[in-house]
Amino acid sequence: MIVLSSVSKWYPNGARPALIDVSAEIGAGEFVFLVGPSGSGKSTLLRLLLREERATGGRVIVAGRDVARIPDRRVPQLRRIVGCVFQDFRLLPNRTVAANVAFALDVVGRPRHVVRSVVPEVLELVGLGGKADRYPDELSGGEQQRVAIARAFVGRPRVLLADEPTGNLDPATSTEIMSLLDAVHRAGTTVIMATHNASLVDAMRRRVLELGDGALIRDEAGGRYDQTVPQPVAPSAPPPVVVPAQPTGTAPDGERSPWATPARSGPVG
Amino acid sequence: MGDAGAQRPGRLMRPGPLASLLWTGLRRNLAMTGAVIVTITICLAMLGAGLLLRAQVHTIDGFLLDQIEVVVDLSDAITPAERSALEAEMRRDPLIVGVRYETKKQVYERFRRDFRGSPDVVAGVGPEDLPAALRLTLADPRASRDIVVTYTGLDGVEAVRDQRALLDPLYRFLDAFTVGAFTLAAVQALASFALIYTMIRISAHARRRETAIMKLVGASNGTIRAPFVLESAVAGLAGGLLAAGVLVAAKIFLVDGQFARQTMFPLFGWAAVWESAVVVLAAGVLAAAVMASIALRRHLRV
Repeated sequence: MIVLSSVSKWYPNGARPALIDVSAEIGAGEFVFLVGPSGSGKSTLLRLLLREERATGGRVIVAGRDVARIPDRRVPQLRRIVGCVFQDFRLLPNRTVAANVAFALDVVGRPRHVVRSVVPEVLELVGLGGKADRYPDELSGGEQQRVAIARAFVGRPRVLLADEPTGNLDPATSTEIMSLLDAVHRAGTTVIMATHNASLVDAMRRRVLELGDGALIRDEAGGRYDQTVPQPVAPSAPPPVVVPAQPTGTAPDGERSPWATPARSGPVG
Repeated sequence: MGDAGAQRPGRLMRPGPLASLLWTGLRRNLAMTGAVIVTITICLAMLGAGLLLRAQVHTIDGFLLDQIEVVVDLSDAITPAERSALEAEMRRDPLIVGVRYETKKQVYERFRRDFRGSPDVVAGVGPEDLPAALRLTLADPRASRDIVVTYTGLDGVEAVRDQRALLDPLYRFLDAFTVGAFTLAAVQALASFALIYTMIRISAHARRRETAIMKLVGASNGTIRAPFVLESAVAGLAGGLLAAGVLVAAKIFLVDGQFARQTMFPLFGWAAVWESAVVVLAAGVLAAAVMASIALRRHLRV
């Protein structure tokens, strides 16, 4: 789904590159944590995937396309298969929850009957079925992030990028958002989540890409937030945090995710 | 791009959501939109006035060119032989298609008819005071100056009067007003552009969240720009309608109400008004949309 080969990014006037020679391959349907200290290049990498920036060296390939070579007028097409959520939610304050989600379909010209049927479904899936007519400032942070996820997911992107989606949320809410993203992933979406939340990464034990000063310094399947030092299970090691609280209506692990249940979905993306 | 190709990139928004974006934009920017509409109205009213003045020149031309004659006043001392020679020469002239002799009495009758509205003028003039004349119909009335030059000073010719020359001040007057109206329209067009430029800047700022999200979810560039261009085009349409109203009002109250009683010339008809109104409307909508597109290049990166 995503191939990075020797990707480098220099910003104009930058003293050092934001990314140096990053190579990685992310398959369709994978879930990947992107970790590393602030300024290590996580956001730059996500911006490259969205073609908000172009790599200065190497190639970024998304869904078989060399992103840097997509002509400007085709970039919207890329962004329809790459959804995105952010730390600050980025909802429109003057629109209701349902209107915020519908906006994403309206502006890509989806027919009205599609919008009318899909929006309530997606709101139900993110656990906001009863709050369709609320405005963002009437919602908690976690609920706002659910709206943002619904908006990113409603167009059925094949890749979902999450840039520190739990950065503004308390631990319990973060866990809820995490399981929502996990559900999106189980519905077949490739998810890349940049995060500083060590306990989530440690609990999920998914593939971890770690950036340091723009270089890829770790690519570990089932990794933790910090470099796993090969060691026997020591009594001092922190107990892994289990993701307990599923959002209301979410099936427990092992069962089919609510994201996959609607008969409509067909091939996702 | 894989199966996402089902959604074509060029697809625009449905009219409903687009109209709602447009409406919030216009409302949010009410004062600015109002200023733009007023400026565009003045600009287009001036443009329309210029077009109507030109129509008036054409109307007068069409009316007069058929009737314009060059009048050769004959001196009282001319002999019949001299007159016949002069007439013969005129009939050979390719620029002249008709020669008609009017006696002093006929000239006086015409004078009384032309000045029937001014009895004082008529009272002071007798049949003997006016010269007999040859009235020349020209192949091309615009060539009258050549005729004047050719026949002035010949034996028995007292004066050659070009009726069209009498109208020169009127033409100069109309031309000056036409140029003035177009100049004012151009100045107002510049002002409109400055205002639209500012309107787009404010609007782009006010909408920056919306446009950021539109970009994020893959709206096409055309979709992102459409509300801005439409906002401006709606202002252009409003200005065009107001300006068309001004033209209609001017026709009813000024032209038909005032001038019609004060002039002996025919005035432009409704056809000219509707023509100008259509031009003004089209110019308003198109120019405003184009101006907005230019301003968008500067203020909105997509």
